[in-house]
Formats: sequence, structure tokens, C-alpha cells
Amino acid sequence: MPGSASSIHCPEGLIERLRSAAENGGEAKLKVLRELKNQIIGNRTKKLSYINLGALPFVVSILSSASSSSSSSDSLLVQCAATIGSFACGVDSGVKAVLDAGAFPHLMNLLSHSNEKIVDAGARALKMIYQSKVAPKYDFFQEKEMDILISLLDKNNEYLTGLGASIITHSCETKDEQKILGDAGILKKLVDLLEGTTSQRDAYMESFATIIKGNPQVILKSVGPENGRMWGNLLELTKDRYSRTRLLACMCLILIKNAVPSYLQSVGVRTKLISILLELIDDSGQVGDETLFTLSSFIENEEGLQKLAFEVNTIEKLCDHMQKELLQPKRLEGIFMVLANLCSNLESCRSVLLQSPKLQAINIITDGLSHTTVDVRVAACICLKNISRSVKYLSAGQFMTEAVIIPLIQLLYDSSTSVQVAALCAISNLVVDFTMHKSLFVQSGCVKRLVELSKSTDLSVRLNAVWALRNLMFLVDSRCKEGIFLELRALTLTSLMSDPSACVQEQALGLICNLVNGSVDSIEYVFAENGFLLSAIGRQLWSASKPEILIQGMYVFCNVASGKEFHKEAVMHQILPGSSNDDNQSIMVTMLQSNDARLRTAAVWTIINLTIPTGPGALARVVKLKNAGIVSQLRNMANDSCLDVKLRVRTALGQSLTFGNFST
Amino acid sequence: MSLFWSVIRQLAEIEAMATSKKVITREEWEKKLNDVKIQKEDMNKLVMNFLVTEGFVDAAEKFRMESGTEPDIDLATITDRMAVKKAVQSGNVEDAIEKVNDLNPEILDTNPQLFFHLQQQRLIELIRNGKVEEALEFAQEELAPRGEENQSFLEELERTVSLLAFEDVKNSPVGDLLDISQRLKTASEVNAAILTSQSHEKDPKLPGLLRMLLWAQNQLDEKAVYPRITDLSTATLQDPSV
Repeated sequence: MPGSASSIHCPEGLIERLRSAAENGGEAKLKVLRELKNQIIGNRTKKLSYINLGALPFVVSILSSASSSSSSSDSLLVQCAATIGSFACGVDSGVKAVLDAGAFPHLMNLLSHSNEKIVDAGARALKMIYQSKVAPKYDFFQEKEMDILISLLDKNNEYLTGLGASIITHSCETKDEQKILGDAGILKKLVDLLEGTTSQRDAYMESFATIIKGNPQVILKSVGPENGRMWGNLLELTKDRYSRTRLLACMCLILIKNAVPSYLQSVGVRTKLISILLELIDDSGQVGDETLFTLSSFIENEEGLQKLAFEVNTIEKLCDHMQKELLQPKRLEGIFMVLANLCSNLESCRSVLLQSPKLQAINIITDGLSHTTVDVRVAACICLKNISRSVKYLSAGQFMTEAVIIPLIQLLYDSSTSVQVAALCAISNLVVDFTMHKSLFVQSGCVKRLVELSKSTDLSVRLNAVWALRNLMFLVDSRCKEGIFLELRALTLTSLMSDPSACVQEQALGLICNLVNGSVDSIEYVFAENGFLLSAIGRQLWSASKPEILIQGMYVFCNVASGKEFHKEAVMHQILPGSSNDDNQSIMVTMLQSNDARLRTAAVWTIINLTIPTGPGALARVVKLKNAGIVSQLRNMANDSCLDVKLRVRTALGQSLTFGNFST
Repeated sequence: MSLFWSVIRQLAEIEAMATSKKVITREEWEKKLNDVKIQKEDMNKLVMNFLVTEGFVDAAEKFRMESGTEPDIDLATITDRMAVKKAVQSGNVEDAIEKVNDLNPEILDTNPQLFFHLQQQRLIELIRNGKVEEALEFAQEELAPRGEENQSFLEELERTVSLLAFEDVKNSPVGDLLDISQRLKTASEVNAAILTSQSHEKDPKLPGLLRMLLWAQNQLDEKAVYPRITDLSTATLQDPSV
């Protein structure tokens, strides 16, 4: 046996011989390189150890002198390349060390060598480098670099074409890069390459996917429905014997469909793709995990696809999988995401999950709320949020159990913001519960936390916290309402109404609207602290431009105006122009003249409440409204195009006319 | 007529027959068989495929010369592959590793399980040759890191390392590791990995055909009584029992 036994005990010895070979040259170079190569291949521990001992600079030095010398043997170049390639294989620090030692340009030079074995060795080494994220970024905008890339793909050598594909997969990141690659005809080359029997098919598909991902323009330009060969090749590959190849083929087809939905309309093909993906889930490794995310992205935005998936029993299959023990986090996250997408629109899907025996599926998802991995917690929240869109089960009080609520509230304190946001969204749905179980939320200190979060600097957190509060306030009983308002305070509400984000303002006003809704006593809330809340709402209405804000604000007034005389007068004070700006028209007129029917509707309802004939101040209010031009505006709307508006206008006019005809 | 020919014909005939349960005499059956058309080129390809996949280089070369059938891979690569297989089968694992790395350095770098099995075999050979001290050192330097790098190897690793604990290794619970069959298993694994890296299918087609024949016969048994091939090695038709 060759002297490897001694090297096992003494890597330093080998390094010494390597150093001496690099400096002095001679026969020893080939021998020591080969030894080093055979020690490190497959052996991650040894690779790291030799990197630390500084082997790489010596190897590159040998390569460098061998490349420039015409008399060096071919096998020396092969061994250099193979050794360097092995250091770079699967070890990021190895790639870094290889690059730092300056190996890259020498390896690129090998690609144009006359001896094919040397070309292969160089290509392999470079491919290993490009499979790591620390590889150098390839500049597709440089003509020279692009020419090199194209020439790689045109060669009749698997290692070279595979290298070209790896470079694309690694370095193509922006839409511009995708465009320039598409324009250079790279996609067509990849499709052609896919036709042959080759071990590089996965590499070609990965680079194909990288170029088309999320870029409809590239697809529309380079790949059309008439491109039968591309479809044919990809569909054929979905039946390949290797699972990873099947998955990649599905991924490519799905990326095309996501970017240009009209390209993959055939129900038959869609169903087939879903079936293939379902079968790939059985793979216990990375392929199975990635399959779940691929399936999730496939059905994400299209109800039709969700329906197809439902019909081929996806839910049953996933429930079976969920019940297996020791699921890896990635797999659990993937399962939750697919279920979430299935339940995003279809009540049938939600029913199946909610009807599973002993609520097994829901329990597993709820357990996911306390998983150690962030992404799993987020996915579990999204899943629950979508399932709770089921009005049927929500109104049956299915979700207001401690098992679901307590962990969710816990997540409001989670260290990750994305978990907080996801939990807030789920809670927003759950608190729309129509039963009396909202007290569970109010008593658990949840309101306090929601109020805290409504002051967060993160917009997403703030928005969803206010949304949750708004939904919590919806139709809540007066005792809970009091509890919530105690935490909220008029001051918080006022500052939320003037939040820099219009979306938050809208939710804040919606919250107030729900606050005053209900019994007449509720209206008193906006009069707290000398009514400055009501004034703030008035100011908001006068200055707002976003329709949703105007709608919510007007409905607050509408609800207030349904109260006692004092309430109605307060609203009148807000909607009519002040004495200091008589030339401004009332906010009511502005809204009544709007093109948006929702604004007109809200305004008319308010007027109806203000002009209800019973009550001492009604007449005076009608006069004021007339003087502000509101009544004549209403007359112009007697035949409004929106039926709802038309009917309310007539009611309002009818009410104002009970006080006599004011034609002037 | 060659045995091979009979088997193929039998298979084709059965597949055509699978409709009604009835008794078919030998005479009838043989008549039907004669009507089945099989291409000689297909048969030659099957034979070549078998020789190439199993690694019978000289036979493949001779067959190519005599039949004019082209192999679907370069016969030169078969030689390399066979050298590796032979090395493992003779217990020269280190030699085998060097040869594999010369053939394609990616194979062992991207196949942790195969690499582990080869290292495992090296340890077994050291123990078989009574080099206990060297074996201990090897286990520590080379095998233990594999277990650290990859948790799934730990169980097998423990089993292998326990070889060192026994006086009479052959009769210990892990004695099967010393069998020649273990070498053959490892050799077969290496062979398959090399074939896969060359984009060649790692199994020959012929066993698949035979399996298909047996399965098809089992299916037809439910519907008919007919002359069966029971002994694959002779491929003779057995009279149907009346």
C-alpha cells in the first residue's frame, strides 16, 4: 500500500512535502497532490483541517506554474484541478480559501485546453465553486463575459454546459439580469439542452427557473405557447425516474404559470401536476420539503386550482403526513402553508379540517403555534387565520377555546415581529366571534398588549393591532366595551386617527365606529374628555382625501347622530362650516357630490338620522341643512344611479319636507 | 432456438392472451408462440446491455465484434469501473478509492453514504488482517468524523466499531461484516454509483424482463391453463396440467 498510513497520523508532514514540492518542483508534485486529493475527497473534516494548515496557496502555486510551463504533464494539471475542486465541494470556507488563493483565473484558463480531460477537470472545479453562495458574481452585462457564457452552453461537453447553467443559477438575481439572459437566447439553448439524455438536466432546469422566476416579460418574449418543444420536454421530465428531476420540471412549469396564467390553462395538465406533486411529498428528504412549497405557490392565488387540489384529496393526504412523528420544521411549515392556501377561499376545505376526528388537524396546527422555529409559528398563524374565515364555524364559537386563544395571545409577545403580525391577523379574525366569548380575550390581558402594539414603530404591527382592536370592538357587550375603552383611552384613539399611515387612520376610525355602535350609552364614549375625540374626528374628515377614511368617519357621525338631541347637535356642529370659513362648503356637500357611491351613501344616512322628525331640534336642523345647500343637493340626487343612495335620499327629503316646503 | 428467444416469445404471447380462462394445449400454445415476431437486434441490445452493466468487458468487446451491436457506453469506461469493483472485491479498498477518484472525483465527494461504506470496508479489512492497532487509529481518525458529519451513520458506525471489542470476531454478533458478502455489497454500491455518474442505468434490463414474465404468468394463471415456463434457466415449456 502507498504511504498513506503515515499521512493519517501526520497532516503536517504532507503539508511540508506540499510546500517543498511547490517551491522546488520535480516529480514529487504529482505524488503529493494525488495523496492530498485522495485524503480530502469525501472527507469534510480533512478539508477543513488542510485549509487551516494553509494547503491551498501551495496547490494554486503548483497549478500556476504548471499552466504557464509548456513542459508540465497533463496529469499534473488534472490533479491540481481535481484537488481544488474537492476543496470547494460543499464547503463554503473551502470555496473562499480557493478564491483567496487566486485559483479562479487559472481554472478558467484550463477550459480552453486542448486535452479534454483537463477541460473536464477545470469545469468540474469551477462548477463546485459556483454551487456555493460565496462564489464571485458573474457580470452578465459585460459583453466578454456573456460571450464566454454562451460559448459554454454551446459546447458539446456536459461539464461545460453544466458549468454555464450553474453560473446562471448562482448569479442571475435581478430582473435586468433575467432580461439580458432572455434576450441573448439563453432560454432556448437550455430547452435544447434538456432534450438530450444527460446528467445535467437538473442544472439546466434550475437555471431555466432562475431566469424566468417572477418575470412575465421574459417569458412572454422568449417562451410562448407555440414553443411545443419546451412544453413537451418539461412535461416529459415530470415523469422522470429521479424525484428531484420531476420536482424541478414541475417547478419550471409552475413558475411559467404564475407569471403568465394564460399559458397553463388545461385542467388535465393542472390536475396531473398536482398529482405528481402529491406523490413527491412522500419523499422524506429535501425533495419532499420543497415539493410542499412548490404546491403552495401553485395554488396560492387561484381558487380554481385550490378546488382541483381539494378534489384530489390533498387535505387527507396532508393530514396523514401531519400525524407522522418527528416532522422536521421545514416540512411542518410547508404542510401548514399548503393547508393555509387551500383554506383561503374554500369553505369546503375549512369544513373538512374542522370536521377531522377529535379535531386532530386543528390540534396539530395549534401545537405549531408554540413550535421552536419562527417560520413554523408564522405558518400556523396564517393557517388558523384562513381557517377562521369560516363564518359558520366562527359563529358556532368553534375557535374561542383556551387551547387556541391562549397560545395566540402568547405570540403577541413573541420576539419575532413577523410572528406578532401573523398572530395579530389571526386574532383579528377570531375576535369577530359572534358569541359572548370575547370576554376570554378581554380578561387575559390581551387588550393591554394590543394597545401597546398599536403604538409600535413597525407599521405592519401597528396596523394589524388596530385592526384586531376594531374587530374585538365589533358587537361586543357593554361590559367588555368598557374594559377595552379603559385601556384604550380617548388619547390613544386620537393619536391613532392622525397616524402617518392612512391605512391605520382608516382602521382607527372603524374602531371608533364600532365603539359608538350599539346602545345609546355607547355614544357617550366620543364625548369623553370634553368631546375632543369628536372634534378630532371632525377635523380628520375635513382634511382627509382617502375615501375609506371619509366613509368610516362619516359612519361614526351617523351612529352618533342616531342618539339623543345633544348628540345630533354635536354632529351638526362638526359637519357645517365654521363661522371663520363661511365660504367653505360643508363636508356633507363634498361627499354627496362624490363619484364614489359609498361616500354618498354614508352622507345620506347621517342626514337621515339628523332629520328624524321626532325631537325638538329637528326643525332647526333642517333649516341649517338647507342653508348650507345640503337639501338642494339632495334634490339633485333624487334619481341617483345607485339604488341604495336613491332610496335614502328620498327618505331624507321626505323627512325634511314634513316641516313644510321651503322652495326659495 | 435460444432460451432467451423462448422467454421473450412467452412473455409477448401471455400479454396478448389475458382475456378468457380456458385450457390451452401445448400445440396451440406453441403455434401462437411461433406467430410472435421478435427482432434479433432487440435481443442483441439486451445482451449487450447486460454485459456492459455487469462489467464483462472482454465478452462485451467480443460480442460487439461478432454481432455488430454497438454498446451504449464507451467500453473503455467499463474497464475502469471493473478495476474498481475488483479492487473492492479483493479487499483493496484504498486502491479502489484512488481509482474512483481518478475516474471521477465528484463521486465520493457527493455520495457521503458510499464514502462511509468504503471507509467502513477499510476498517473491516484491517481487522480481518489482524492489524488491531492500525484499525483503532483508523477508526478514530477516519470513521469517527463521518459520524460527526452525519448523524444517520452513527448506528452503523457503532456496529462496525464494535468489531474491535470482540476476541473471536467471526462468531460475534457483528461477524457478518467480515463475510465476503459484505465486500460484494460494497462493490455493488460503488459500481452503481459509477454507472449513475455516467448517466447510465445502474440495473440491466434483463432481470426486469424476467420479473415481468413471472408476474404476467401469475396474472394469466387466474384466467387460463397453459404451458408455463417455471425454470427460467432452461426456459422450457411445461405441459398444462389437465
